[in-house]
Amino acid sequence: MDTPAHSIVRDDSRCTGCVACCKACPTRAIRVRDGRQVVDAAVCIDCGECIRACPHDAVTARMSSPSDLGRFRHTVAIPSTALYSQFGRGVHPEQVAGALLQTGFSAFDDVSWMCQMVGSAVDTYLSECKGPWPKISATCPAVIRLILQRYPDLIPHVVPIETPRELTAKLARRKAAETMGLPPSEIGVFYISPCSAIMQSIANPIGLHESNFDGAFSVAGLYASLLKAIRAGCPPASDESFNHSGLRWGLTGGESAAMRNANSLAVSGVGEVLRVFDSIEAGKFQMLDFIEAHICPDGCIGGQMLVEGRHLARHALREILAHVTEKSAGGQVRWVQEEKVRSMFRDRFFDMAAEIKARPLKREASDLQHAILLHQEKTRVLARLPGRDCAACGAPGCETFASDVVTDRADLGDCVCVKLDQLTSSLKENGK
Amino acid sequence: MDDDVLYSERFVITGDDFEHGGDAAARVKAIMKEFGLDPAVIRRLSIANFEAEMNVIMYAQSAELVFSVTRQGVAVVVADRGPGIPDIGAAMQEGFSTATAEMRARGFGAGMGLPNIKRSTDWFEVESTPGVGTTLRYGVRLGTPPAAGASRV
Repeated sequence: MDTPAHSIVRDDSRCTGCVACCKACPTRAIRVRDGRQVVDAAVCIDCGECIRACPHDAVTARMSSPSDLGRFRHTVAIPSTALYSQFGRGVHPEQVAGALLQTGFSAFDDVSWMCQMVGSAVDTYLSECKGPWPKISATCPAVIRLILQRYPDLIPHVVPIETPRELTAKLARRKAAETMGLPPSEIGVFYISPCSAIMQSIANPIGLHESNFDGAFSVAGLYASLLKAIRAGCPPASDESFNHSGLRWGLTGGESAAMRNANSLAVSGVGEVLRVFDSIEAGKFQMLDFIEAHICPDGCIGGQMLVEGRHLARHALREILAHVTEKSAGGQVRWVQEEKVRSMFRDRFFDMAAEIKARPLKREASDLQHAILLHQEKTRVLARLPGRDCAACGAPGCETFASDVVTDRADLGDCVCVKLDQLTSSLKENGK
Repeated sequence: MDDDVLYSERFVITGDDFEHGGDAAARVKAIMKEFGLDPAVIRRLSIANFEAEMNVIMYAQSAELVFSVTRQGVAVVVADRGPGIPDIGAAMQEGFSTATAEMRARGFGAGMGLPNIKRSTDWFEVESTPGVGTTLRYGVRLGTPPAAGASRV
């Protein structure tokens, strides 16, 4: 199978060979060899946990460069709702939208209305589909890639509805082509992303053949220029309206809160997601209809490519929601027209364009007997290891190291404890 | 299914140990994944293992779960020390349960245990002596088309 190019990149000059990334990786794709991070590209899912874990800023995500904007006659910025929460209390989405127009984009489009529409479409889907239960949200691409690789059994659980960001981008291009009279190829649509996972899903999409985005910028990459524009009092995009419940999608639980179906559960953070998926596989969550899962803690608001910490971001978001409610007519929260969404759902507007398929890892063993042999050898190697998961060998823990040893990717002597035992016994022998 | 055993491992399950409920099933599942078995085989045996394990935790004092792999299939024997099943025929009826209110509150006791094991496996035998214990023998053949999945509880 082809190994996909990754959006996560390493700066060798900053990597010290500490094992922080290696221990944080949920798919155990990272080893440290000769004092440097080495990533198994076939195993990495671009979740960005290594970016979060690296204390030396040696890992980051590849993004579009400002020169990419020059390739198009008209450019549209579509930010993640998490962007709005990055500038503290009192800075509202319309100001952030205004600031984006000062930083090189010709237009701005908002994703929050589409979030609520997709929520409503998922409601319709849940009411009509027949298991397997629970269904799993397709919003977080790192979660989807985790499923394709580690939980292929859960693929039929994934809701086959396109994400709000992709649908917004599709409509934005169409709208710009009509109003500007430009061919679609001369319009550049860019996502302002909170994470590496979405950057990767634009370069290598799942559930659609080609992304509707031409590229993505990280929030961190644009932060300084946006902040300067906001502080300089740039004009807000005051004709923009934002959807209250759609704005909550950036925070875990926001997606399910906007739905009519209340038989759902939200989980965030990679460790928790793994635990919940193990349970779904074991059949324990069948009483639920819907699981909203985010790899980042607290959801998109906890993305690695953001600037404001997720606690202050949550604080700011609460104030933004109050502001949006107040601003909409008579303090009434505006909802999308569900009838309209249902009819769009029937017209397949929300459908994923491509089937999502398992991406199993290449197996080391040639057949069942060989696999059993490797397992038994691994158990024997593991018994000789200290079990401290110190990662000094360059693998994240003793069990992974034992697998590496039996598949010839590491040498038993790479374990400092094994080495010490060997040295001690040879010293004793020499002392006799 | 006594033919050449390629692999075998035993696990101990302790009655009332709800805290670790499902651990043995999870470990067996991890081993099957490592062996690269067909996902449908893994899913079906795991459903059965989970049901069997929870039965022990809810009703018995302790049990030994022995998982083995042959060229033909994956087989499990769960032998418990416990009250036994007085009426196996009744226990095989869907909806039959002697679960207490507390067990039901935890989501068990829907009376799906034994029927669910039978449905998700290719063979299933139950032997029980009241006052002594129960032994379940079940398994899934390798390379068979998956049966219809267990229904929603």
